[in-house]
This record gives sequence, C-alpha cells and structure tokens, in this order.
Amino acid sequence: MIRGALMLAAAATALAQTPPPKAPAVARKSAAAAALPNYNELKFPELRPIATPTIQSFTLPNGMQLLLLEDHELPLVNGTVLVRTGSAFDPPEKAGLAAFALQAMLQGGTAAKPGEELVRQFQDFGAELTGEVSPNLLSMSFSGLKDNGELVIDALKDGLTAPEFPQDRIDRLKAHLHNVIAHRNDAGPAILQREFVSMVFGKHSPYGAQVEHVNLDRINRGDLVSFHQRYFFPKNVTLALAGDFDAALMKQRLEVLFGEWKSEQPPIGAFPDVGRSMAPGKFLAENKDAARAFFAVGGAGTGQLDKDNPALEIMAGILAGGLDGRLNRLLRGNVDGLTASWTPGLGYPGLFEVSGTIANPFFTPKVLQTVYDELRKIRTEEVSDHELKTAKATALNRLVFGFDNQLSIMPRLAEYQYFNIPGDYTRQYQEALEAVTRADVLRVARERMDPDKLTTVVVANPTAFEAPLESLGGAPVNTIDLTIPAPKVEASVGDAASQRRARQLLARAQQAEGGADKLAAVTDYVQEIAYQFDISAGGAQANMTERWMAPNYVRQDTTSASGKISVYCDGKIGWIVSGGASGALLGVQLQQVQSNLFRTMFPLLVSDRAERKLTAIDDQTVEISDAGGNIVKIVFDNATGLPKNELYDAPVANGTVSVIETYADYREVNGLKIPFKVSIDLAGRKFQDLTIKSMQINAGLKVADLEKRP
Amino acid sequence: MIGLRFGALFLLGALFLPAQELRDYERKVSEFTLSNGLHFIILERHQAPIVSFHTYLNAGSTEDPARKTGLASLIARLAFNGTETIGTKNWPLEKKALEAVEAAFDRMDDERGKGFGAKAGAFAILQAGESTAMGDAFQQQNPDEYLRAIQENGGVALDSHATQDSIETSYSLPSNRVELWFVLESQRLAHPVFRDFYRERSKQAEDMAYLGESKSPARVRQSLLSAAFENLPYRNPVLGWPGDVVALRAGDAKDYLDTYGGPGNIVIAIVGDVDPAAAQRLAERYFGPIPARPHPPLVRSQESAQSGPKTVALWGDSPPYLIIGYKRPPEIHRDDPAFDILATILGDPQTGWLHQELVEQKEIAQSAEALSDFPAARYVNLFVVSATPAKDHTVEENQKAIDEIVARLQSRPIDAATLARVKNVLRGRFVRLLGGNQELAALLPDFYVTYGDWRKLFSVGENYDRVTAEEMQRVALEYLIPAHRTVAYLTSAPPPGGAASSHGGLQ
Repeated sequence: MIRGALMLAAAATALAQTPPPKAPAVARKSAAAAALPNYNELKFPELRPIATPTIQSFTLPNGMQLLLLEDHELPLVNGTVLVRTGSAFDPPEKAGLAAFALQAMLQGGTAAKPGEELVRQFQDFGAELTGEVSPNLLSMSFSGLKDNGELVIDALKDGLTAPEFPQDRIDRLKAHLHNVIAHRNDAGPAILQREFVSMVFGKHSPYGAQVEHVNLDRINRGDLVSFHQRYFFPKNVTLALAGDFDAALMKQRLEVLFGEWKSEQPPIGAFPDVGRSMAPGKFLAENKDAARAFFAVGGAGTGQLDKDNPALEIMAGILAGGLDGRLNRLLRGNVDGLTASWTPGLGYPGLFEVSGTIANPFFTPKVLQTVYDELRKIRTEEVSDHELKTAKATALNRLVFGFDNQLSIMPRLAEYQYFNIPGDYTRQYQEALEAVTRADVLRVARERMDPDKLTTVVVANPTAFEAPLESLGGAPVNTIDLTIPAPKVEASVGDAASQRRARQLLARAQQAEGGADKLAAVTDYVQEIAYQFDISAGGAQANMTERWMAPNYVRQDTTSASGKISVYCDGKIGWIVSGGASGALLGVQLQQVQSNLFRTMFPLLVSDRAERKLTAIDDQTVEISDAGGNIVKIVFDNATGLPKNELYDAPVANGTVSVIETYADYREVNGLKIPFKVSIDLAGRKFQDLTIKSMQINAGLKVADLEKRP
Repeated sequence: MIGLRFGALFLLGALFLPAQELRDYERKVSEFTLSNGLHFIILERHQAPIVSFHTYLNAGSTEDPARKTGLASLIARLAFNGTETIGTKNWPLEKKALEAVEAAFDRMDDERGKGFGAKAGAFAILQAGESTAMGDAFQQQNPDEYLRAIQENGGVALDSHATQDSIETSYSLPSNRVELWFVLESQRLAHPVFRDFYRERSKQAEDMAYLGESKSPARVRQSLLSAAFENLPYRNPVLGWPGDVVALRAGDAKDYLDTYGGPGNIVIAIVGDVDPAAAQRLAERYFGPIPARPHPPLVRSQESAQSGPKTVALWGDSPPYLIIGYKRPPEIHRDDPAFDILATILGDPQTGWLHQELVEQKEIAQSAEALSDFPAARYVNLFVVSATPAKDHTVEENQKAIDEIVARLQSRPIDAATLARVKNVLRGRFVRLLGGNQELAALLPDFYVTYGDWRKLFSVGENYDRVTAEEMQRVALEYLIPAHRTVAYLTSAPPPGGAASSHGGLQ
C-alpha cells in the first residue's frame, strides 16, 4: 500500500514539526492529503431526479375514491383509508371525539368480530391496522402480507363500515385516556409542544383545544355511532392501495366488495377557519420539577401550496436549520436540540417554530433575547451568499428522502390528492427551491414573520432564571396553569317523572319546614355556631358568628385557639382577614364560600322558584343544580319530610372532596324548623360537629355592616 | 434471536420468505473483504436516489474494561466529533492543546487520589487550569465541522449508539454524495479526535444519575440485570455506572479502539441507489490504507449457572412495577425462535395473554409486556415479563397471575390457531422491515456478525415454521422455572414494626 505509506509518512512529518505560521501549515495539510481529497474538495454528479410514482385513480359507482399503485418489490399489500373529517369538527365540550371514535373503531371490532377479534383477524393475515386523526383528516392504515391481501381488505371493509362500539371497550378506552391525560405533564418536551400549539391557535379553537377529563366523560356511545354515521359514507372516503397486486384485478375486486356499501349523507362542509383567539405574547408554564428549561418561539405558518414556502424553509434553515445556523452558532453551549422550522400545514396553516432545550435554566432570558434579536436581524439585512447556498443545498438534498420507504410513499401521495396538491408538486417545489434569492429571503422574512406577533412558550422553573422574563420587555408575560382540571361531577338530567318526584319531595319539605312562602321571605339571619373538630382532624374547637343576607351576602367571624379569622363575600368577590393580614378572597377559598352560599338552607329549599334543575335520584333524594355548576343532593327524612342529609363535593386545593352533612335537633325559630346540630363527614370520615347556639332570622342586617372589615 | 429494537417491543423475526425472494436479494447483494479485514455488504435498491450507510463495530459495553463501564457508549456518542483534518483550524496546535487538557486532568485525578491528603483549594486551582486548557483547545477547533459536512450535504437520520454487543453508527445521504461518506467515514475510523470527550462524559453521567436516586421502572430493570447476572457484563448498564463514567479518560477510549476498533472487527453495510462496483473501488481507495490490527480478545465471562430463585425489592413512593427474568440461552441456540413466538403470544399489546388477562379481564395491571431477549442476545440472557400494576393493585397479584400463565404454558400445548396467527404476525413485521434502506442496512451486518452469513436473514425463518406447540411447551418447562428466575419489583415500603414478612415477600 504505497499510497497509504506516503500519506502516513507525510502526516507524521507534519506532526513532528513545531507549529509553523498558518499558510505553510495549510499547505502541508493539503500535501499530506494529496493522495486522498478532503471532503470539501469533492465534486458531486447531478442528483438523479425524484421519480414520483404514478397512481391510478378511479371512482366507484357509490362515490368512493380509489387510488392504486403497483409495487412488486415485497410481498405486501399496504393501504390507507382517508375520511374527510378531523378533530377540527370536535364540538368544544367534547374535544377529542374524533380521536376517541377512531380508537373505538380500531379496538372495538365489528358485530361479527367484536373487540380484539378484529385485531386477531388482522394478525392472522400478518397484518396491522392503525389510525391517526389530525385536525382535518382521519386516516386508517394497514399493511398485510400479499398472500392474504384479499382477506385483509375484506376485514378492513367490515371494520370500516360496521363498527360495533361495544360499551365495555368504550369504558376501557376512557379509563386509558383518563390515565393519559393524568400523565400529560410528565415530560417537558411534550408539555412544551402541546402548550405551544394551544397558545398559537388558541385553547378555544379546535386547532388548539386540549382534551380534558370532563370532555372525555361527556362522550357516550351515541356520539360515536353518530360520528361514524355522519362521516363514514362512500362519497367521503378514499381508499389508497399500494403493493404486490394487479391493479385491474384489484379494482374489480374492490368494486364488488364495496359495491354493497351504499350509505348517503349530505356532503361535509368546510373545516373551520383557524381563528387566533390568543393574543400573541409570552407564556410561562411553571414546572418546578424540570431541571432544564424548554422553549418555543413562533406562530401560525402557511399552507402547503403557499408560494413563499421555499424561501421560508431556507430562512428557517439559516436561522437554525443545522449546526451552521445563526442561532446554533450563538447558542451552541447553552441549548440542546435547537431547531427552527417552517412547516407548511396540510389543509390549515402550519407552524413556524424555533425551539430547544436549555440545559441550564439560568440562561433562559439570554437565550430568548438572542432568538428575538436574530429574528429581527434576518428582517433587516439580506443573508450572505454562503448562507443561502448552504441552506438551499440542505433543503434540496433533504427533499429526496420523502420517498425512501415503500410503506410511506402511498399514504403521502394519497394525502396530497386529498388536499388537492398537484401531482408534480415535489418537482415544482424542487425548482422553486433552486430559484430562491437573497432578496426573496429578506422579503418573506419581512412579510410573513413579524417578531412582535409571535408566541413564546417557556416550560421551566422560573426561580432558576437569571432574571424574570418580564425583564425582556415587550409583550407581558402570562402564566399557563399546567394543573390538569379535575374530572368534574356533572349534574344529572332527569326525565319528567323524576323531576315531578323531586318537586313533590321539595314541596313536602317546604311544608314541614313551615311553608314555602315563609322560607322565601327570609332575607337575612345571624347564627352563633360552636365547632368541634373530630380527633382525627385535630380535635380543635372554634366559635363562629355567621351573618347572611339575601341573595348572596355572607360574613363569618371565627375565633379559635389559633386566632381570629373573618371572611366576607358578596356572592362574587370578597376578602379574608386572618391574624392581622388581609387579602382578597381567591381561588379555592372563594370557591368554598360560593359553594356554601349555594347551599344556604332557606333559598335552597325553595329552589323550585329559581332557575335550577331538580331531579329525584331516588324516593328520598333530590339533586339540585344550577347553571354555575353547583350541585347538591338532599336526602329527606321519610317520616318528617325534613332534610336529613346533604351530599356534595367541596372544592379543595387539588380537586374536590366528598362531604356528607347530617342534621338533627330540629327546633323552631320564627315559625321555621332549623337543625341545631349538624355533623360533617369528609371523604367518608367524621370531620366536625356543629352546634348552633343561637339563631335570629330577619334581624334587619345591613350590607355595610357585613362588609366592614374588623 | 437478535433483538433489534425499533421501538419498545419490536421483535425481529427472520421469517420464511420463499426461496424466490432470497434469490432476488442475492442478486442485489455484493460482498467483499478488504485485505485489512474490513467487510462490506452492499445491497442495491434504486427506488429513490438515496443511500443508507451503517457501520457495525463488533464490540460494545460487554467489552468495557472493569471499572470503566460506559466507555463504549461514550465512544459512540463522540462518533461525529471529527478527525485530525476535519474539525480543526490547526491540528498540530490543537493536538498540543489537547495534550495539555489531558495533563490537567491527570493532575486533577492525582489530587483527588490523595484523599484526605488533598490540599484545600488545590483542586479548585487545578480545575481552573483545566478550564483554561479546554479554552485553548477550543481556540484551535472548528466546532461541529464533521457534523455540518454531513448535514449540509443532505445527511439525515444520523445515529450513533452502543449496545452490549456493538457500536453502530449510521446515516443516509442523497446518492450523488456517496463519495462523501467514504471520505468522512474512512477518516473517522483512521484518525478520530474526540473533541467533546469531557463535555459528553458529563452529560452521560447526568443521564445515568437516575441509577442513584430515582425509583422508576428503568431503575428496577437495572436492578434485575445486576441481580440476575453474577459475572456476565450484561449486569452493567450500557451507559455505565455514574461512578465509572465520571472517571473515564480520553486515553481509555483510545485503548478501547486500539483493541477492538481494528478494521477486521468492523462490518459496513451500504443500501440504496449505489453501484456496487464503484462502491468497491471507493472502499479500496479510502478504507484500504487503514492498517490491519490483530484480532481482539474474546470476552471469556461465563455466567455461572443459576441454581435458585433471586429477588430484589425496591421500596419507594413511586407507582409499583414488576419485572421477571428467566435465564435463557444465546440467540444461536436452537430454542431461540421459540422465545420470539412466546414473547408475542404473551406480550402482543392487544391480543397477548398478558394484556388480555392482566389488563382487560382481571384489571390488575395498567400494562404488561414480554421481551424475548434482554438485555441483548449474544450470550446467556433473560426472557422477560413485566407489569405495571393498576391503581390499588399489587405486584403480588400480578406475579400470581403471571405464574398462572406460565403454568398454563407448561401444562398444555398452545392451540394451533394462536401459533399460526403469531407466526404470521412475526412474518408480517419482518417483511415490512425489508421496505426501508435504513432498516436493511442495520440488519445485514448484525446477521453477518452473529451467524457468519447475511443470508441467515432469510433462512432462519424456516425455524419459526418448524417450531411446534409441543416444543413451545418443552421450552416453557425447561426454562420458565423458579430456579432460573430473577424477580425485581418496586413497591411502597411496608409500615414500620417488623412487617417485612407480612408485607409479603415475592419469590
């Protein structure tokens, strides 16, 4: 190996010398490598043009679209079903419906093959069935061995047209998805991406909505059946097949197989516009457990066919498309996984996003400032020739990788067709990329990317920052509360019979109390209460004076061994004074007071005169609820007709706790029966006993007295 | 079976493809070995103008020297650090600066070694010296030049990682850039410079810090390995014990590669839009000059036979977790296919017995899985069953349910329908793997190294078809027994007051 020896010898000589001035060192380096070129001395031939395979396209008599592509390399038949629907059609109160329905179809099976029998059937054929929901597309994909190709498609047709949606499957799926929601804050990057998309498109927009426990709980089997009926009909479905088959024979077979599928529905309307209900700005999600900080800066992007996409892709590449990107060079030591991408959306605006992980959260403000500075800079001056050349080459070279895997080519082409992307899109995009100039990059940066209108999301522990994010100036910093809203118990809606029964029970109670009119005529009261906490809850004692005025004023003054506390609320807001310190009544405390106000006995017992729902849960129990989400169940004593218990969920710091109140020692005050003993159980355990020491009704209270601070 | 993991549970089953398919592939594959021992396997696929490259070094964490666990992984992480000509502004100057860095670390290790004799403040001074030396070296560097060369030329899917058995580096390029790979890769193998050694070392140690603190399924899995294996290096984490990793030095990497990184120990696969004759010429030109090295020593660790059940309990506040490993033979053993089938029968996410019984019917688990081999398959390893108990359910309940399933496997043969179905599942998955350049480029060297012939990719499948229900039963009886079993579980600590036994030990 003479050449090898030469190279080694020359290299050894170079290393043996003392460091020479720069020019000779370079020359020596070239000499040493003369036998073999350096990587940047290579000349490459032209890249072979990308050949997009041609698809055969048919429409069946029932309106179903067929796309076929023969590929005989492997003994497989792969297919994708595209259905024109998506999560953008989810009703806001049932966010997640489309995705749920799809999973229920995949896991629920058909009448003939319920549950995992359908999955087993696919497995018998060496096939897999999966699905995906995006805002404006629902797709199911399968891949099976060619030998069983026909059987697989038969099974697919059943799964597609006759899903069973068995209840036990639905329940299991719900439990699983509840668990997924409960864990959605486990990993920083997942939190970041979810919140970023949510902020950019708006939590109340179908494109940014998050699925919460309460949404899941509202979805029932009827919804799934309706969903399937509405969207799964031949004219709304495309079947794309690629693999080892004969296209003509396959077409015949499919005509026969799907010919009997004749359901009709009105055409599907347009997908909603992407509204942007969140103002752009900075959003901070506190994640105390995160050792690192995660950030994303960006906003809504462009559609797939926007003429500026090539230039925008290059702009993003110059910013942070690879190690040579401006931001990569500036932030190399501080940020991992730094990328900038302009991703066009299929059917709706995509995303522009600059994001990364900051290893040491201390540097978060500096990192963000650097990003903002570079976003401004790229709109001020043209990029350099070298940058343009590099980014262009990278983008062009990456384009070829869209078609490397047999399994992914057909679904992609089918999607293009679905979204009306022309057949020669890839070749056109390639030409457009080649034609981008420095002036183009400047123009699109100015016209399509406004740093003042971008959204910044940071997921981190802000106490670790060098300075608060407010120090960056510009848009104010809003907080994202990552707390996952607890599953709410929602009011029952009874039928007419149970509503009648509820009124009967209430009427009897009103009479037993002393009369509905007397109850309605109570405009205030004052009561003195002695509290005794159960041993397991600390065993303490307290005394409270409570003053209430219709409709919703309350003032409580409590004295105990730990001091004095006063609370006031006018139904909407209030204050709390505790040991000298005073503050607004907020959060859980406010909710607790409002919950108590809802259950003030006198107005509660004449709920039939108010805008409230009444349902009899059983022969003795009435559930009362209002539009504000307040719910209480009252159990009436069979013998006396008076309230025996109240059951409700009280708001606490991280959710709710179930409460049972029990009433005893009814005495008469001003002609009304009042329980003078109340015991309270929390989560099934004894919590406290209340004894009313005195009670005055209609004492002539004044709001000014109630709201006067101690 | 070779457990190539694409995703958590992906099994590789080399399945029965008719001889026709094998002949097709044989026509598309060229193989040759350079005189220095470097072996190339080239597979032509001309659908798209792209090529995938995969370099397989036949040494991994099993070859980590004692007290230097994590070394192979660290070497893998540094694959794109550059060479003596790529990534430097001035190699002679940089080399001197890097030597100064090494000297600084020598002094720091020395000072640390004094233990109580170390002088206060001396260490801080040495650390400052090390920072300065690093800064000097950085001045001479062209950071990320090697990586940029790949990315700017359209490189995608860059990956470099170590397993117990290998160090594998791969990426894909547009097919008109094939020569670029030859230049870059040959330089990397001949003259690597690990510029980011100490920075990556810190990151790797941080990644492994969870071994000290957390109570998580990953922690439990590591405990399983450390308990199950007495002497086989499989007992160590691939990424190393943190105490070992923080002490690794650049010289260790050099020694490792001197021993194991010779061309005779490397297999390279090139799959895609490539002309084999041209590729061979380029291989001779660029890789030919790399000097041959002697064969590396074989790891002689023999795992001692396990003669009784082992259990490891971890107590913590985290959600409970259970993992069970049964000792099983290496992948070249004739029983290997049966374990793949068993893992799918038990562990398929929807139709597997574990999911059906523990998750759906009994509702005692949130999820349950099976792995046919763990952590790797070249040596004696483990057939694994694991479960995450559902809320308010225990690891004991889950182990009991798993024991019942094992007993059923041992007491009667699996029904023909299930066996046929699972064989089809494995066949389908395998055929799908053959549709991608990257996947093929990863498979070919693996089979070559394990069986001596890439063709085994296609003919090992006959072994699946040959597995009968009776054989599966025999395998269950022979291997899935308490004497060969190790159990590791995570659960909350029992209440104080000597309740350890009442808490229920798992056997």
